[in-house]
Amino acid sequence: MNNLNPPGESIFSLVIPIEALSPDVPLEEVAEQFADPRNARLLSLPVVENGRPIGVISRYQFMNIYLKLYARELYGKRPLRGFINNTPLLVELGQPLAEAAQHVAANMQFPLTEDFIVTRHGRYLGIGFVMDLLKAMEVQMRANTAELEQAYSQLKSSQLALVQSEKMASLGQMVAGVAHEINTPLGYVQNNVAIGQELFAQMQGVLGTYETLIDQLLDGNTNEEQLAAQMQIAAAMRNDASMQEMRGEMNGLMADSLYGIEQISGLVHDLKNFSRMDAAANDLANPNDCIESALNIGRNVLKDKVEVVKDLAQLPEIMCAPSQLNQVFLNLFTNAAQAMETPGKLLIKSWHDSDNIYIGVSDNGKGIPPDIISRIFDPFFTTKPVGEGTGLGLAISHQIIQQHGGSIRVESRPGEGTSFHISLPLSGDAKSNASALAALA
Amino acid sequence: MSKPTLLLIDDEDRILRSLRMLFFVGYNVRTTTEPGEAIRILREEKVHVIMSDQRMPQMQGSELLRIARETSPATMRILLTGYSDLDASIASVNEGEVFRYLMKPWNAEDVKKVVAEAAAIAEASFAVQSHAEPATETAKPRVLIMDHDEATAKTVHETLGDRCEIVWASDAQHAMEELAKQDVSVVVSDLMLGETNVGYILKTIKQLNPQTQCIVVTSFNDTSRLIELINQAQITRFLPKPVSKGILARNLESMLERFHLVRSQPALQKRQSVEPISNAQERVQAGNFIGMLGKLRARIGV
Repeated sequence: MNNLNPPGESIFSLVIPIEALSPDVPLEEVAEQFADPRNARLLSLPVVENGRPIGVISRYQFMNIYLKLYARELYGKRPLRGFINNTPLLVELGQPLAEAAQHVAANMQFPLTEDFIVTRHGRYLGIGFVMDLLKAMEVQMRANTAELEQAYSQLKSSQLALVQSEKMASLGQMVAGVAHEINTPLGYVQNNVAIGQELFAQMQGVLGTYETLIDQLLDGNTNEEQLAAQMQIAAAMRNDASMQEMRGEMNGLMADSLYGIEQISGLVHDLKNFSRMDAAANDLANPNDCIESALNIGRNVLKDKVEVVKDLAQLPEIMCAPSQLNQVFLNLFTNAAQAMETPGKLLIKSWHDSDNIYIGVSDNGKGIPPDIISRIFDPFFTTKPVGEGTGLGLAISHQIIQQHGGSIRVESRPGEGTSFHISLPLSGDAKSNASALAALA
Repeated sequence: MSKPTLLLIDDEDRILRSLRMLFFVGYNVRTTTEPGEAIRILREEKVHVIMSDQRMPQMQGSELLRIARETSPATMRILLTGYSDLDASIASVNEGEVFRYLMKPWNAEDVKKVVAEAAAIAEASFAVQSHAEPATETAKPRVLIMDHDEATAKTVHETLGDRCEIVWASDAQHAMEELAKQDVSVVVSDLMLGETNVGYILKTIKQLNPQTQCIVVTSFNDTSRLIELINQAQITRFLPKPVSKGILARNLESMLERFHLVRSQPALQKRQSVEPISNAQERVQAGNFIGMLGKLRARIGV
């Protein structure tokens, strides 16, 4: 920010190079200087000895002396040295503007009777007007504020983009997982249909042969040889072992296909439930359903690795943003799966009292080291390699739970596992927060 | 001749039932959901083609295919998976050395074609002794580097400099001129050479000379491109950058060895035969490349 106003330069622009007085000049010389119209704007005159400022004489102070009766006669020939203020306001040229302004503001007197002296490496350079310094300061502050505002709005938009990218990343992961699950049933259903098509074509051939045979049998004009030949064709088809086997298996394949289609519909249903694209952002919902929905979507990450144990009590419905709670639970479940180096257990509990709904998610994974546990809800904090996690998963979860008027905390023992405890208020708060939730959605 | 044996492994029974029906007419089909059982079958029976799922509870498909490669080297290995993750596809190249990486859901006709081709190749390679004496070499093997990374070139020089002629191509044109002079034994390539995507060059090289062994060293992590390179360029190694010197050196040695083996046993060449190029633009590029190569060769008089 300093590069807007390089320090030395800003003070330099305020310097007025006035010839300083020697402390040895008589006081009447000062009178002449103040009377000079070129010095009309000056509040004070600098006094310099051996190049160094030793004090100032202000118009105000001078007048206090000189307006006395016979003052000119009494003091006119006396050297200036005895009348100066030897603690002048000093500003070094290289000083940052803000620092100089602060120093001057702290030491100036009211009413304002003196100008400040500018030095370079301690040697006299000129004087400056206090009002100019304060004005320059104000201009700089205004520029800094504008710059800060710009930086803030940039930060805000990049934060939005990051939150969005975290959403997209978890969505992408979820879609990839479900796509794989769909590919398997889709694989055999498609193949079974292709086999069915081929078998159907063969069966049509067989049927045609039989029809021809029947036609020939019913037609009195067919001769013995024709009939024998046709019967032979039919018999050969009848004995085609491969077709027999296909016919035998086809029922099974059809049943498999129906099963597969059911699987696919189930997965599509899970996706729809999870995203709740077709439902209101805020709705009465049972958190247990959100847990189930997240488990369905996370199945691909969890299976083969995690044994899920559920202990879910009957819960009342609460006003909430179900798709966001889904996101929180999926985040906790997939984190747990990732924390397990060997197959482990995930215990999901829910219960409630008259005020709150409580949800516990505990795993027996590797746990969180004590030195980082206080930071896990911080935005951008991640233990994953660069590029693999945005470090926003838990920060967003934390935000979502807070916006529901609830709380989320963590407890972990390295080597033993980690538990997350969520509480959500039963009523009141959740309802009044509905508008805040809508803003998040 | 008896039917070739096809061994299918998937943790979903319905996939196995379905595939069995697709193949039972032409093949002796063996199916199992247990990788352990598959390994037993490979050990005890002559299996032409093994086609495995990737994600299974007991073992990854790429791991099973690696074991298959050791247990029954002549068996052709195919991966059939619904999940295209990068680690799995890298493992399927480097460890499983798969003939094809196929995706679920599959097209029945395409899979039939791939399996038939694989079975025929397996039949031919059963007849070949895998460790035949390398024939006395006439020309020095050539290694073509298509990578602007100096570390790659340095490792290649240090590892094979004493035995091979090494060419470091700075761009596609340069690579083509070198290929026009003489075939290469081993290619070490990034996927991008400056601004050029060299995928089509790798695919063309393999079409021109199936003996050439391709090592890809790259920082590009694009699974679908990798799968394409497996099927259409039969790259034999995919090493993500930064690659350690030791790993690259080891792979260079084994690919040079592979080249000698394949050259001495032409029946093995087919084991790395490739699918036609699927990308239309790359097809055009490859066509131009071959055309210009032909002209260059005619001019040089190769």
